[in-house]
Amino acid sequence: MSPAEPDIRLRDVTVRYGPPRNPVTAVADASLTVRPGEFVVLVGPSGCGKTTLLRLVAGLEQPAAGTVEVRRATGVVFQTPRLFPWRTVGGNLSFALARNGVARAERPARVAELLSLVGLPGMAGRRTWELSGGQQQRVAIARALATEPQILLMDEPFAALDAFTRERLQEEVRTLAASTGTTVLFVTHSAEEAVLLGSRVLVMAAGPGRIVDEMTVPLPRAAATDTAALRGDPRFAALRAELAAVTRAATAA
Amino acid sequence: MTLVKETPPVAPPADAAPARRRRPAVLRWTALRLVALAVLLAAWQAIVAAGVWPRVLVPSPAEVWSAFVEASTVHDGVRGYSGYLLGEHLAVSLRRIGIGTGYAALTGIPLGLLIGVVKPVAVVLEPAVTFLRTLPPLAYLSLLVIWFGIDESPKIWLLVVAALPPIAAATAAAVRGVPGDLVEAARTLGSGPVTLLLSVRLPAALPEILTGVRIGLGVAYTSVVAAETVNGVPGIGGMIRDAQRYNQTDVVIAGIIAIGLSGILLDALFRGLERVTVPWRGRR
Ligand SMILES: Nc1ncnc2c1ncn2[C@@H]1O[C@H](COP(=O)(O)OP(=O)(O)OP(=O)(O)O)[C@@H](O)[C@H]1O
Ligand SMILES: [Mg+2]
Repeated sequence: MSPAEPDIRLRDVTVRYGPPRNPVTAVADASLTVRPGEFVVLVGPSGCGKTTLLRLVAGLEQPAAGTVEVRRATGVVFQTPRLFPWRTVGGNLSFALARNGVARAERPARVAELLSLVGLPGMAGRRTWELSGGQQQRVAIARALATEPQILLMDEPFAALDAFTRERLQEEVRTLAASTGTTVLFVTHSAEEAVLLGSRVLVMAAGPGRIVDEMTVPLPRAAATDTAALRGDPRFAALRAELAAVTRAATAA
Repeated sequence: MTLVKETPPVAPPADAAPARRRRPAVLRWTALRLVALAVLLAAWQAIVAAGVWPRVLVPSPAEVWSAFVEASTVHDGVRGYSGYLLGEHLAVSLRRIGIGTGYAALTGIPLGLLIGVVKPVAVVLEPAVTFLRTLPPLAYLSLLVIWFGIDESPKIWLLVVAALPPIAAATAAAVRGVPGDLVEAARTLGSGPVTLLLSVRLPAALPEILTGVRIGLGVAYTSVVAAETVNGVPGIGGMIRDAQRYNQTDVVIAGIIAIGLSGILLDALFRGLERVTVPWRGRR
């Protein structure tokens, strides 16, 4: 595959919800292209169609108009963990591994690997409800990674977490994306999170939902980047302020 | 100067762990139940002593107890009641209830899954299940006797027909109530329709399905006397029928008590089983 060929391409998509007689247009004429290895963040006010765009890419919604092309395998992390309570932590990961065709005998080792990756080594035997919210969300991330997606779709995955856990997971996801070269489409409300994680940020506005602005983030992207230092970097602060201003303008318009 | 007067803390002693505090509570409730039972027995005895109704209609607790003992032992060369011990009558009935509920679960759960997932099946079969559910077992007993004779099979059939509708209905409701976000999550992990049904909807619905089976078991329990109306000996229902024929009210009451007590016991066992097999009940 040539690097020029995009992983995701939406052309003039419109999504409507509700009865055909009286539809709600959630997204109107949105176009978007994500190239392999890019980390694209969608920001915008509540109800502007961020989740809808993500669900479209995940194949969970069909467009009323326009085309959706997704070239490689996707994995989804939702805002809530959505773990299966009838399975243990390891069982949740095994479920995903099985769907991905991993032989039964190889699953325990892969489960252990995935749990270490998200910082929960040795938790395979635990029941899901014994974990904290942050731990559950990490399991959800590991479960999405278990299918070895080349495109990771994340819908405000850290919104429900405390600031401390959120910063840790932001760092983990940033490192993970940089080291594996996974393409990421990430939804957030937070300008700070958008600038920290994204290589490119798309700003959306509501009524009807559409993409109104775009911003490239010229910050270092290597896996070894010190995110703590980055957060204190004046360039980071400037970008964050700029994005906040753009978002405000988009919301007011 | 302090306006609020300091009150000494009245925290419980540190070693009063919850586990240690629960035992007295359990004892207290058990004691309450025993007291209630004693009051009931005393009232019963008082009514009998007052002679409000003839003895034949309302025997005393002692008479019921001796009927209970007689039915449970071999006395004067007679074995229990109608040639079987009370325990044997009960065991035969329990076996029928178990087999009937078992078949009802084996057919009712897949049926409920189909009804819950496939709309056309629901349209056709859901009214049929509701129809069956509203029928009193005695209504179809005659039909079953005509079709299957008077041996074991009509009895089992009756219990299956009685227990199946609640199991199927509970299963259908349970799979319909499976949280859509879990199904969606499974779909994004690459699950096909068969995996979604058997590895997501079924386990997600299992707590409520088991509740449905427990309700079905209860219905089979209440239907067993009807099932044993014809040629029901051995069987607790047959025993009660025989006793009724000879106006042995004490045996009838002893039989009723035996059914009720074994029912409570079985229900408790089943609840324990549910706790062990579906620890995720009510969890997310
Ligand atoms: N299932 C649905 N049925 C009807 N309308 C819907 C449905 N899902 C979303 N909508 C509408 O579509 C619009 C976009 O919703 P969407 O969930 O994509 O917003 P969002 O940007 O993700 O918001 P938030 O930041 O609050 O999560 C909203 O106006 C919403 O009311
Ligand atoms: Mg959303």
